[in-house]
Amino acid sequence: MDLKDKKILITGGGGFLGSHVIQKLLEKGVPQENIFVPRQSEYDLRKLEDCKKAVSNQQIVIHLAAKVGGIGFNQEKPGELFYDNMVMGAQMIEAAYRAGVQKFVALGTVCAYPKFTSTPFKEENLWNDYPEETNAHYGLAKKALLIQAQAYRSQYGFNVIFLLPVNLYGSGDSFDPTRSHVIPALIKKVADAIKNKEDYINVWGTGQATREFLYAPDAAEGIVLATEKYDKSDPVNLGSGQEISIKNLIALICRLMGFKGEIRWDISKPDGQPRRMLDTSRAEQEFDFKAKTSFVEGLKKTIKWYLQNQEESSG
Amino acid sequence: MNLKKKKILVTGGAGFLGQHVVRRLLEKGIKEQNILVPRIENYDLRLIENCEKVVKGQNLVIHLAGLTGGIEYHKQNPATIFYDNLMMGIQLMEAARKAEVEKFITIGSATEYPENAPLPFRESDLWRGFPEPIHAPYTVAKKMLLVQAQAYRKQYDFNAIHLLMTNMYGPGEKLDSSFVIPSLIRRIWQAEKENQNFIEIWGTGKPTRDFLYVGDAAEGIIKAAESYNKPEPVNIGSGWEISIKELTGIIVRLMNFKGEVRFDETKPDGQMRRMMDTTRAEQEFDFKASTDFEVGLKKAIGWYIPKIEKLFQK
Repeated sequence: MDLKDKKILITGGGGFLGSHVIQKLLEKGVPQENIFVPRQSEYDLRKLEDCKKAVSNQQIVIHLAAKVGGIGFNQEKPGELFYDNMVMGAQMIEAAYRAGVQKFVALGTVCAYPKFTSTPFKEENLWNDYPEETNAHYGLAKKALLIQAQAYRSQYGFNVIFLLPVNLYGSGDSFDPTRSHVIPALIKKVADAIKNKEDYINVWGTGQATREFLYAPDAAEGIVLATEKYDKSDPVNLGSGQEISIKNLIALICRLMGFKGEIRWDISKPDGQPRRMLDTSRAEQEFDFKAKTSFVEGLKKTIKWYLQNQEESSG
Repeated sequence: MNLKKKKILVTGGAGFLGQHVVRRLLEKGIKEQNILVPRIENYDLRLIENCEKVVKGQNLVIHLAGLTGGIEYHKQNPATIFYDNLMMGIQLMEAARKAEVEKFITIGSATEYPENAPLPFRESDLWRGFPEPIHAPYTVAKKMLLVQAQAYRKQYDFNAIHLLMTNMYGPGEKLDSSFVIPSLIRRIWQAEKENQNFIEIWGTGKPTRDFLYVGDAAEGIIKAAESYNKPEPVNIGSGWEISIKELTGIIVRLMNFKGEVRFDETKPDGQMRRMMDTTRAEQEFDFKASTDFEVGLKKAIGWYIPKIEKLFQK
C-alpha cells in the first residue's frame, strides 16, 4: 500500500510513539495535511460518536492512543486501564470498519504475553498463560483487540493488523515519576541525584529482571513498514531482539551520565515480569523490519534530550 | 447479600436461562416490581446511554444477555459476536459502577476454557491456552468481563463476580437450538412422525459431556448472588458426565421410541470429554446441582414436544 496519497488518522499522534510515527510518515513523503491527529481535548475516544467523527473520510487508521503507565500506575488503576483501553480500541475498530476505512493498524503490548514464557517470546505463545499480574488487565484488554481484528477480517474482510511492540524508549517519553517506565525513571533518578549532590539512588526490585528495549523511532519505522506491507491476521512482534538485565541497564545509564554513587535496591518492591525478550523474526520475514539503532546510541540521545527538556518532560 | 429488598436488574431475563433466574427470584419471595428485565426493543445495551438508564437505582445486576448461536452462526458472525457481547458487558459494568450498584454478576461459559485444558475443568486452568478457535470471539469477549470484574474490585472495591456455566438443558430452550439434548429430542420426534424406524447420530457416541438442568443453573447464580464475593471465577456445573450413547438411550426410552439408534462412525466425535470441576461452587457458596437427570429430561421433553408439534402444524 502506497501511503503517499492516503488520508491517515493517528490516534495518540500527540503522544510519545505517535510523534515519532508522524515524523516517519513525513520522511516517507506523506503530506502533512493528509495526517490527522485528533486532540484529546476535542475527541474522547471512549465515546462512540467521537470515534465515528475521527474516522470519517480516513483511509488508514493507526490506533496508538492508549492509557499506560509504569508498575505503580498499573497497580493503582487497573480498572481505568482496562476500561479505557478496551472501549477505545473496540469502538475505533468498529467505527473504522463502518466508515469504510481501508486498513487499521492496532497495537498490542509485550504485557500481553504470559508471565512465564520461554524467551524469546514467539507470537504463537501469546495465549499460553496469564500475563504478569501487575499489568495483566492492560495486557489482556490489548490482547482482546487481536481477537477483534481477526474476527473483523474473517466476517467483513476488513484489513486489521496487530503489532506487539516491546518496551519503548527515546526522546519525547514521559519522565513524570507517577507514570514513567523504567528508562526515563532511571535517567531522572540519576539526574536528580547528580543535581542534588547525592551519592546514592534507590531503585525498585532486585535488578534481576531482564527487559528488551526498542528505540521509539525504530518502533515507528516498524509500524510504518507494517502499514505499507503487512496484510495478514497473525500478530507480529516489534522488538530489537536484545535483552538486558535491569542491573546492567542501570550500570550503563550511570556510566553514560557520569554518576559514580551507590545503587540501593529496594527488594520489597516488585520486579514485574522476570524476563522479556521478543522473537523478532516474523517482522523481518513479513515486512523486512529490523531495528537499527544500537542501545548505547539510543540511550545517549534519550539522556541528552531529557537533560535539555527536563522542565516540561517531568509532568 | 439478602436479596429480599434489593432492586435487581436481569439482562437477558427473557432468555432461556434468564426466565429461570427470574422465576427462582420470585419463588424466593422477591417482589415482581423489584425485578427489571430490559427488553432488547427498548434498550440496545451496546449503547452506553441505555446501560446507564437500566442500571439506575438498581442494587444488583445479573448480566445474562448475550449474543450466541450454533456453530454455523459463530463461524459466520465472529465480528458481531465479539463486538456486541464485549460492548454490552463492559459498558454495563462501567455504568453499574458509576451508579453505585452493590453487586454485579457476569456470566461466562465452559467454552472459555482452553481447547486442551485438563479434565475436569478447574478454574485455575482458565488462562492456560487458547479456546476452541470457532468460539474464541464469544469467549474472549465474555472473558474480558472476568478481567474487568477483577480490575474493578482492585481499583474501586466494586463487587463483581464471574460464573462459568456448563451446557444447560431444560424447558424454555430455543426450539431450533443445535445443542445436543434439544436436537436429539427433535430428531426422535421427527423419526416417529415420519415412521422412520431409526435415527442416526454422528460419531461413535463415546464422547462424554456434563449437563446442568437450567433450574439448577439459576439456583447456582442466585446462591452466588447471595453469598459469593471474591475475584476468582467459579464453575457452575452438574459434577457428573454421561456419554452421548447413554444419553441417547435415556431419551429414546423416555420418548418411547422403538426404532434403532445408528452411530455414523465416519463422522467426527468432537472433543472426547468435557466436564467441569464443581468443588469451588460447593465450598464457596454451598451449591450442588440437585435435579435428577431423568427428572430434568422429562421436564425438557414435556415442554419441548407440544412446542414443536404446534410449530409443525403451522
